[in-house]
Amino acid sequence: MTSFRVKDRGRVKADRPVRFSFDGVAYEGCEGDTVASALLANGVHLMGRGFKYHRPRGPVTAGSEEPNALIGTSRGVGRFEPNTRATVQEIYQGLTTESQNKWPSLKFDVGAINDRLYMLFSAGFYYKTFMWPRSFWDKVYEPFIRRAAGLGKAPVDVDPDHYASRYLYCDVLIVGAGPSGLAAALAAAQTGVNVVVVDEHAEMGGSLLSEPSVGINGKAAWDWLEATLDELGRLPNVRLMTRTTAIGYYHQNMIALCQKLTDHLAELPTDAPRERMWRVRAKQVVLGQGAIERPLVFDGNDRPGVMLASAAQTYLNRYGVKVGNRPVILTSHDSAWYAAFDLADAGAKVGAIVDTRNDIQAALMQQAKARGIETLTGHTATATSGRLRVKSVRVNPVRGGRVGKARTIDCDALLMSGGWTPSLHLFSHTKGSLHWDAEENVYLPGQQTEECHIAGAGRGLWGIAAVLEDGVKAGTAAVRALGHSCDAVRFDVSDDRTGNGVTHKELATDRSPGRAKAFIDFQNDVTAKDIRLAVREGMRSIEHVKRYTTNGMATDQGKMSNMNGLMIASDALQKEAPQVGLTTFRPPYTPTTFGTFAGYHKGSHFELTRKTPIDSWAEEHGAAFEPVALWRRAWYFPKAGETMHMAVSRECKATRESIGIFDASTLGKIEVSGPDAVEFMNRMYTNPWTKLAPGRCRYGLLLGEDGFIRDDGVIGRMRDDLFHVTTTTGGAARVLNMMEDYLQTEWPDLKVWLTSTTEEWATIALNGPNARKLLAPLVEGVDISADAFPHMSVAECTVAGFSSRLFRISFTGELGFEVNVPARHGRALWKKLMQAGRQYDICPYGTETMHVLRAEKGYIIIGQDTDGTVTPQDAGIGWAIGKAKPDFVGKRSLSRPDIVARDRKHLVGLLTDDPKIVLEEGAQIVTDPNQPLPMKMIGHVTSSYWSEALGRSIAMALVAGGHEKMDQTLYIPMPGHTVAAKVTGTVFYDPAGERLKVE
Amino acid sequence: MNAHVTPNSPGPVSLTIVPPFARFSLRIAAASVEAASKAFGLELPVKIGQGQAKDGRAAWCLGPDEWLLHAVETETVQIMEAFARFRPETPHSLTLISDREITIAMEGARAAELLSVACPIDLARIHPGMAKRTVFDSAQVVLLRDGPDHFRLEVWRSFFPHVHELLQIANRELASGY
Amino acid sequence: MLLIHCPYCDDTLPELEFAYAGEAHIARPSDPSELSDEEWRDFLFIRSNARGVHAERWRHIHGCARYFNALRDTVSDKFLRTYKAGEPRPDTSVQEAVK
Repeated sequence: MTSFRVKDRGRVKADRPVRFSFDGVAYEGCEGDTVASALLANGVHLMGRGFKYHRPRGPVTAGSEEPNALIGTSRGVGRFEPNTRATVQEIYQGLTTESQNKWPSLKFDVGAINDRLYMLFSAGFYYKTFMWPRSFWDKVYEPFIRRAAGLGKAPVDVDPDHYASRYLYCDVLIVGAGPSGLAAALAAAQTGVNVVVVDEHAEMGGSLLSEPSVGINGKAAWDWLEATLDELGRLPNVRLMTRTTAIGYYHQNMIALCQKLTDHLAELPTDAPRERMWRVRAKQVVLGQGAIERPLVFDGNDRPGVMLASAAQTYLNRYGVKVGNRPVILTSHDSAWYAAFDLADAGAKVGAIVDTRNDIQAALMQQAKARGIETLTGHTATATSGRLRVKSVRVNPVRGGRVGKARTIDCDALLMSGGWTPSLHLFSHTKGSLHWDAEENVYLPGQQTEECHIAGAGRGLWGIAAVLEDGVKAGTAAVRALGHSCDAVRFDVSDDRTGNGVTHKELATDRSPGRAKAFIDFQNDVTAKDIRLAVREGMRSIEHVKRYTTNGMATDQGKMSNMNGLMIASDALQKEAPQVGLTTFRPPYTPTTFGTFAGYHKGSHFELTRKTPIDSWAEEHGAAFEPVALWRRAWYFPKAGETMHMAVSRECKATRESIGIFDASTLGKIEVSGPDAVEFMNRMYTNPWTKLAPGRCRYGLLLGEDGFIRDDGVIGRMRDDLFHVTTTTGGAARVLNMMEDYLQTEWPDLKVWLTSTTEEWATIALNGPNARKLLAPLVEGVDISADAFPHMSVAECTVAGFSSRLFRISFTGELGFEVNVPARHGRALWKKLMQAGRQYDICPYGTETMHVLRAEKGYIIIGQDTDGTVTPQDAGIGWAIGKAKPDFVGKRSLSRPDIVARDRKHLVGLLTDDPKIVLEEGAQIVTDPNQPLPMKMIGHVTSSYWSEALGRSIAMALVAGGHEKMDQTLYIPMPGHTVAAKVTGTVFYDPAGERLKVE
Repeated sequence: MNAHVTPNSPGPVSLTIVPPFARFSLRIAAASVEAASKAFGLELPVKIGQGQAKDGRAAWCLGPDEWLLHAVETETVQIMEAFARFRPETPHSLTLISDREITIAMEGARAAELLSVACPIDLARIHPGMAKRTVFDSAQVVLLRDGPDHFRLEVWRSFFPHVHELLQIANRELASGY
Repeated sequence: MLLIHCPYCDDTLPELEFAYAGEAHIARPSDPSELSDEEWRDFLFIRSNARGVHAERWRHIHGCARYFNALRDTVSDKFLRTYKAGEPRPDTSVQEAVK
């Protein structure tokens, strides 16, 4: 294979060969190469296939804007990544890569038949082709679209890599370490402020890396660059970050950076993250993102070998790779002339420089002549040839608007330049306005919304001298805004390659434009014809054109295609470009992995999981867990061979017959303290609190101001001025927030303070006829006999030697106690109670048994039996309302017309006719199962269980007018059968409450 | 009072769990703060974020009417009684929260960097002696800075496993050099 | 992610420490029983939904825990200023002039 490596050119380390593979073929590159540069050095241009027509494609660029050369990279299980740009991926020993979007092979791809069916795949073809017949959708259209859609293969294995994140504050953030960014850094850093410079490339320098011939301050460009980076690198106030892309610019100068740490390494270091997301807050931002070259739009501008002139220059000067031996240059800008000169100087035989312009600087013409390069001015390109690589280009003179006689020039590379587009993506994220420069046909930064400064080619400047000077200006302005003054930094630039150019819509042609495959969006295969068709079919805004044609929707987000698309749309619409608009650039700037965004949130760290002090005991004893809010709670404790149903039935039975023990630590707890505590409680909760004596507790019901149930819990009065409030597990934070809201903003005069003590206490519930027998010997400081410590009592005492707040309450209908001890003792107390309870066959139970036991008693669970639209009356707990109180949160709403309406959904019991059937929670309820579809649904099942105590199923449901439907039979239609059930009250077990009275 | 007990995690920052001590949340009107200072035997700072420490007792102002108090555990009852004595004439709330949080001490030249993996605030503005309630990877925490390279993180007990594990992951990451 | 100035802490801090709490300056009537159904409905549900300067409540929930008020431009998402709960809404015409 011929080598296209040029001796003594480029920055790659020629003496350090790196072996890698592409589509199963081994190649050798050099350290410092990208996959694209290494393949080009091996003479390989064909790197991919177009998305729609499967046309052969090679790299168009040498950077992150690459639309064509997308590859899959892999390094072992779970480390496969699709859609990586070959122009960005650095090679390392053993890197495995493959091409995409082809079958069976890249060189022979069956899908290329689409190229012959060109006419079928015009703009909006998805909308047009797949319209009818309707019956074709499921079987034909959808499978077809699904197979055709998507780019690359999605990885299937779990990603074993580690991803990281970091917050960073700095004074000045400089995005882009090209000449303007580095000049800004030099200016800003001398004041001592914190400066961060980021660049997406593996090394800093930007355009200087591709332009070694320029001289700065008497040094060759690369010597100056090295000295500058060394100087900046040694300053303690400067941080330089390579392989780091600023992917998004958010409010108040927050910039998100994606730093790639290991994708270039042959060996993965232990514990090193693959990528790190930096959330940087900068006082000042300098954007030195440079400009992106525009392709020219003409028939056949997508063949492998056709690429941007600047890319060829980069491959030559930075990577030491000649992209062809017989290149032809096709341009409308001076910059491409230098690519021709550099390639000629490197030994390439430049076929011609074809320029669309008639008048060219004399100096350029002279230099071309000196190198013996033919120049064709005032020409257009009308076609190319070559299947897997460009072979020739057809050019014609244009005189007075008329396209003259064609001539064909042989070539193995066609290097195009359609001018330059300032890279303003990040600036656009800030919603800064853009200003249309009609002279240069570019958008430039206008009104700013953030503290940022744009420097260099990003605001349309051209030439190293101008860009360096502008960088200094931006850096100086940034530090001045921070109140620093800095010395002027001056640069003396020699051999600067200044120039200018013009931009075009599609190039003039002597052939039918309707047959031209003149590409605008290479990745999505959108042509100039598609844009014009979209306009003809009524699209007026560029946003519509974009969606109709998919122009700019590729992974390069329109970096290549937006401006060409806009020029053609504006021509078709006969309107100025600003009136046609510009589609919005959105983060991220370049494709970014999900891993970067997820950071540490994967595996056991996917989400914060709260654990109780007794969680470890439950885990050791084989508990099954369920998530409740952020908590994980013991769900049930299966013994060997037990199903969930068996375990729960056993736990229920043990609790009703002897004693069960339950970890209730997750219950929210709030200390309400202060002389106005009782007044505050009266205003917040529906119940009256004034007469509740210290040492007693009461069920409390909390409504929203709209009258709907928000939360509930047992509340103990510890002192006249101190309440121990409990909330639901999931409601703890919400209730405290709501209480603070009223206290701080409505009643700031009340002397009350709220403190969350949820986590101060571990809470253990003991329920069952033997609960007192177990507990009494362990309690000191209070008599817990039935008379001395009646139901709904609370006391401070010690239990098993631990200081404790002891409640006598029940959420099961059995004799019950809840012991609160300082959290660190929770596990020790639990073990002591288990030990002491052995004689009663004490049974640990989980949340499922708790749910069954409470449902047997008709106790509601907020959020399960209520849904934010249920009033106390609806839930059948109107008794909890202190009717004599003048006001409380939600009281006024309880008399609103909608709230007193009779057809509201009420909470009722449901008993299935067949006692063995356990209804499904969420199942819909109807009155007549034989009515035509769609049936009128009058409610749904909220809670449903097998009741071991009753030997049958039980359920609760919200049913329209349910309180007036007692004893009626309702129906629950299920797939394949319908269940009949009778409406009942909600208390299924021990309705008289006798079991609480155990002596 | 903050002797370190657990072995150091691998990584440049030493992470240790501080053994139990007395911790209170004090809520009192700013105008009455003098009475609280007297009861606690330490002049309470009045600017949010500021701290004060003397003779094994420490106090930080976390809100306009909120202070975090630390003391030796054996003085718990004594402190509660001292506050109870003036409660009738100067209403306030003193809540024992010794067990609500677990405190992680961090020491090392890269301690601030370690915190920056999940703490969104500008740590350079938290000076030694200060305290700040903030978040660490979605868990609410109180961050105390004892010195340039020494922090304590008070974490609600149930959040502790998550926070501690993440700190260890990040500590290993720092050690990796990447 | 926004930076928000807490008027109690007198410090500007990341949005992650704060929670939004709805429109500001909607006081709970001192005696709700005196309100007609329509008036009570308006208190409960009717909000200004301003395009432009909006007075709204925030809570420094993971900081000093105080509720406070803010004027924010709902178009640009920028805070014009924040102020303590109970203070009157600042004159926005002045704010506009400052802009």
